[in-house]
Amino acid sequence: MVALTIDGRKVEAGAGSTVLDAALAAGIEIPRLCHHPELTAWGGCRLCLVEVEGQQAPVPSCGLAAAAGMVVITHSEQLEAHRREVLDLLLSDHPLNCVICEKAGACDLQRYAYEFGLSESSHEKEIARKLYQDENAFLVRDHQYCILCTRCVRVCEEIVGASAIEVAQRGFEAFVATPFDAPLVETPCTFCGNCVQVCPTAALVPVDRIGKGREWDLTRTRTVCPYCGTGCGIEVATRGGEIVSVSGYGAPANGEFLCTKGRFGLGFVGHPDRLRRPLIRRDLAYSLGLIDTPPPAALGRSPLGRSPAAGETHVEVDWEIALDLVADRLAAVVKESGPDAFAGIGSALCTNEDNYIFQKLVRGVIGTNNVDLCARV
Amino acid sequence: MRSTVKVGTSTCGLATGAEATFRALQEAVSETGLAVSTQRTGCLGACHREPLVEIVVDGAHVLYGPVTADRARPLLEGHFTLHGAPPPPEDWVVSRTPDRRDYAFFAPQVKVTTANCGVIDPLSLEDYLAAGGYEGLRRALAMSPEAVVAAVTDGRLRGRGGAGYPTGLKWKICRSQPDPLKYLVCNADEGDPGAFMDRTLIEGDPHRVLEGMIIAAHGIGARWGYAYVRAEYPLAVKHLEAAIAQARDAGYLGTDILGSGLDFDVIVKEGAGAFVCGEETALMHSIEGRRGTPRMRPPYPAASGLWGHPTNINNVESYASVPSIMTGGAEWFSSLGTSESGGTKTFALAGAIQRTGLVEVPIGVSLRQVIFDVGGGIRDGHSFKAVQIGGPSGGCLPECLLDTPVDYGPLRATGAIMGSGGMVVVDDTTCMVDLARYFLSFTQDESCGKCIPCRIGTRKMLGILTKITRGEGDTADLDRLQQVAHTIHTTSLCGLGQTAPNPVLTTLRYFRDEYAAHIHDRHCPAGTCTALR
Amino acid sequence: MPSAASGTTARPRKTVYLGDPLAEPPPPELLAILERHRGRGDVLVTVLQQIQAQYGYLPERSVRYASRELGIPLARLYGVATFYNQFRFTPPGRIQLQVCCGTACHVGGAPAIVERLKAHLQIAENQTTPDGIFTLQTVFCVGCCSLAPVVIASGAAHGRMTPGGAESLVRDLGAAEEGRP
Repeated sequence: MVALTIDGRKVEAGAGSTVLDAALAAGIEIPRLCHHPELTAWGGCRLCLVEVEGQQAPVPSCGLAAAAGMVVITHSEQLEAHRREVLDLLLSDHPLNCVICEKAGACDLQRYAYEFGLSESSHEKEIARKLYQDENAFLVRDHQYCILCTRCVRVCEEIVGASAIEVAQRGFEAFVATPFDAPLVETPCTFCGNCVQVCPTAALVPVDRIGKGREWDLTRTRTVCPYCGTGCGIEVATRGGEIVSVSGYGAPANGEFLCTKGRFGLGFVGHPDRLRRPLIRRDLAYSLGLIDTPPPAALGRSPLGRSPAAGETHVEVDWEIALDLVADRLAAVVKESGPDAFAGIGSALCTNEDNYIFQKLVRGVIGTNNVDLCARV
Repeated sequence: MRSTVKVGTSTCGLATGAEATFRALQEAVSETGLAVSTQRTGCLGACHREPLVEIVVDGAHVLYGPVTADRARPLLEGHFTLHGAPPPPEDWVVSRTPDRRDYAFFAPQVKVTTANCGVIDPLSLEDYLAAGGYEGLRRALAMSPEAVVAAVTDGRLRGRGGAGYPTGLKWKICRSQPDPLKYLVCNADEGDPGAFMDRTLIEGDPHRVLEGMIIAAHGIGARWGYAYVRAEYPLAVKHLEAAIAQARDAGYLGTDILGSGLDFDVIVKEGAGAFVCGEETALMHSIEGRRGTPRMRPPYPAASGLWGHPTNINNVESYASVPSIMTGGAEWFSSLGTSESGGTKTFALAGAIQRTGLVEVPIGVSLRQVIFDVGGGIRDGHSFKAVQIGGPSGGCLPECLLDTPVDYGPLRATGAIMGSGGMVVVDDTTCMVDLARYFLSFTQDESCGKCIPCRIGTRKMLGILTKITRGEGDTADLDRLQQVAHTIHTTSLCGLGQTAPNPVLTTLRYFRDEYAAHIHDRHCPAGTCTALR
Repeated sequence: MPSAASGTTARPRKTVYLGDPLAEPPPPELLAILERHRGRGDVLVTVLQQIQAQYGYLPERSVRYASRELGIPLARLYGVATFYNQFRFTPPGRIQLQVCCGTACHVGGAPAIVERLKAHLQIAENQTTPDGIFTLQTVFCVGCCSLAPVVIASGAAHGRMTPGGAESLVRDLGAAEEGRP
């Protein structure tokens, strides 16, 4: 631990932490756009500059290691003037469409423009980036909103390891590009969407949330991703009970980040085809006397024919009947062919407890070791 | 009788037809049957008289220029009075003394780093050795590394790239790092428009630069060196690579150099056309195969540079000064300059003056001496208006500041910087607003785009300046310029951005009346701005 | 294709595979460049320079090969190639004209030379004439400031240029080039 002074307050900082870390830990807010706690420091936005005693020019606090005895000032008239000017410059290169912007209420640039009272730029408006790319099913890249903080590039290289995107060109013409500006599907992109999550503006937006409401319309609920055994923490944003988007929130298993399934794969939750009640085959139901009409003979046999709807092939029954049926048939199989005729495969979508009970059932009740789980990777 | 005909065939010579001159001389020698050897050399610096030909007969020198190909034969015949030919016309003669001091251009100069340029064949190791080459390395290897670093510190050598950081201190910090693998980089990415010192040095005397690097490697304990040469300098790359090959064969590079146990080798990397790569962290990114964007410092390269290892980066001229410190001694070297910085500084003198070229003067002489004594003042009857020093990072200084000594501190006090050595003199036909606009268009074009103030700020400054040169400016624009300039200067990530406003701030400070004329009178005093004619 | 020795039989793919655009090995001249640089950390820019020296520009396919063979993400190659002025993705003209716009050349009249050449060749900067002979570029300082203004044609520097001089230089070069394949 090192002790330093920030804005006149004695602050303790852990080994290896930056001045920004130390300030944030002490509840001192410093404006920043390119900084992300999980990514290497970039130092491009110049908003987190602070004054350090003994140094002539302001220093970016995101890249400055906290040192014992350091005396730091995070807010001064000078610093605020520079921050204001930098934001003023940035706003000249950014559409101020906040009233119709998906990111309104969750946009870092909007927040700082509000804090500094900038309704528009005092400079000539000129937006260098024109590309609008929506060629994939997951995310839209609207380059005019990009502020080139490169969080997306860094997350793709450092966290995901895909390196699907990189800054291309330079200076005022620079933009975040795929190789040869190809569609994302032709790159190593896995559509994990972590770039979308770290984007501070509306440059990267999930397709599914467009037009579904803004930050203040959404209810955020933290839960665990249902997909695999990793148990990533996810934060589900809903509006009127409908899932709008999913993001990570800094959970123990996964930190802030998710894979494509957790982020973009929860569409089944509200899907009309989702199974909600047990179904049994019509022929079985007929033989058990649960329905009066036999099923049509040739239904669903031809690979060229339409696939039948669930209601045509199956009937809904209540849990009692379904479980009894399964128990009877299972017992019959075991009795006839021995317990090893049975094998069970658990699902990663179930909880640990459910899977434990399941293997207990297979081993202890049925009496075989033929049990496995798809999440044992 | 031993006679040599030397032709300066650096890039600058070649641009005026030195190659044709050289061939014509070779032809003339073989046709006339003269017992004369012909030799290519680097650049003597007197570019205004190129192509330059020097004829040395038994130690008697005569320097001629310009010698175009058609003058080659009459020159030879005249000089050696063949077939009763008349001597070459007097206005072909530049100088007649071995040290050329009878010519005003050379008289005030003190040639240390450029001593061999234009004198020896740059592709000949023998020539370099005959001129005392690698003697500095021998002496350095006989000293302890600490003593080498101490000598550079005592010589008060400061970074010739422009920032003027004490070289000895830099070496000491790098040397003190515990990491056993250290790198060394020679920054030859001379990007300032109006600067060609490094090009001339490498083209004319590549071994000297190499020797400086090897001495530095000994002092620091570096194992590998990179020479990062600007892409626009193909001849410099060729000469440096040839010199490296020769040095390897002769045991000056490789393992156990000269039996001292020092292992060191140099790899040449060509730049790919990005001014910002002159910034040390951007340069390292470029070597590492990354986009040439700078990164935050600290950590400084001396602690964590190439691939995270301690790396020492110096400019070409800094390295080229080192052999002389070893041979001449730290005391002699520091006595050449001022109490703050020792040695000499080369300048690329260009623009509206009589004598342009590469000049080397002791640190501390005044701008006036460089421009008027060496450069011979303004040409074509025009009058001096300003000297632009330090390229896009520097500033424009008016007549009243001409007595400023060329030294890091005093120049910074004027708002300009020492810079790498570009010195462009402009006369009354140049518009200062247009010149400021020109430099901003350069930095705007070369900004890497990483930090906001430089990426967008330079663009906005350029926009305002363009507006003014079109006669569409108003008074508020000047305040706006100053305000944005202040933020760019203070908050930019690297030197490119931090110094980008300098040309504008210095012209605003010293030539505000020209801005006023554009804004209030819709008039360009120099007549440069076409929209206001 | 699995070799006969491996003893496995090829299983038909589930989906129709249109083929890897880089299924063929790189052409020999490109392979030679890539082989020289395999496994080194400091070669990315150099590889691109040598590819460009080979073809006159960076063909997209060869950059893709470089990415695959050297294990460098394609995005990084693309980012680097677009960062530096030197690299281009389209073939240049047979003669590359570079007008130096360094400080000395600028104050010496380089802008007028650029304008004259643009008008004469009827192309903009960084464009190539329709006949494929000239590419016009501006560069910041070639280090010949004493001879300003300077025009470089196919690597040869021509000092103390004027708009008229530059135009006749281009005329001469163009006349010499015409009729060649």
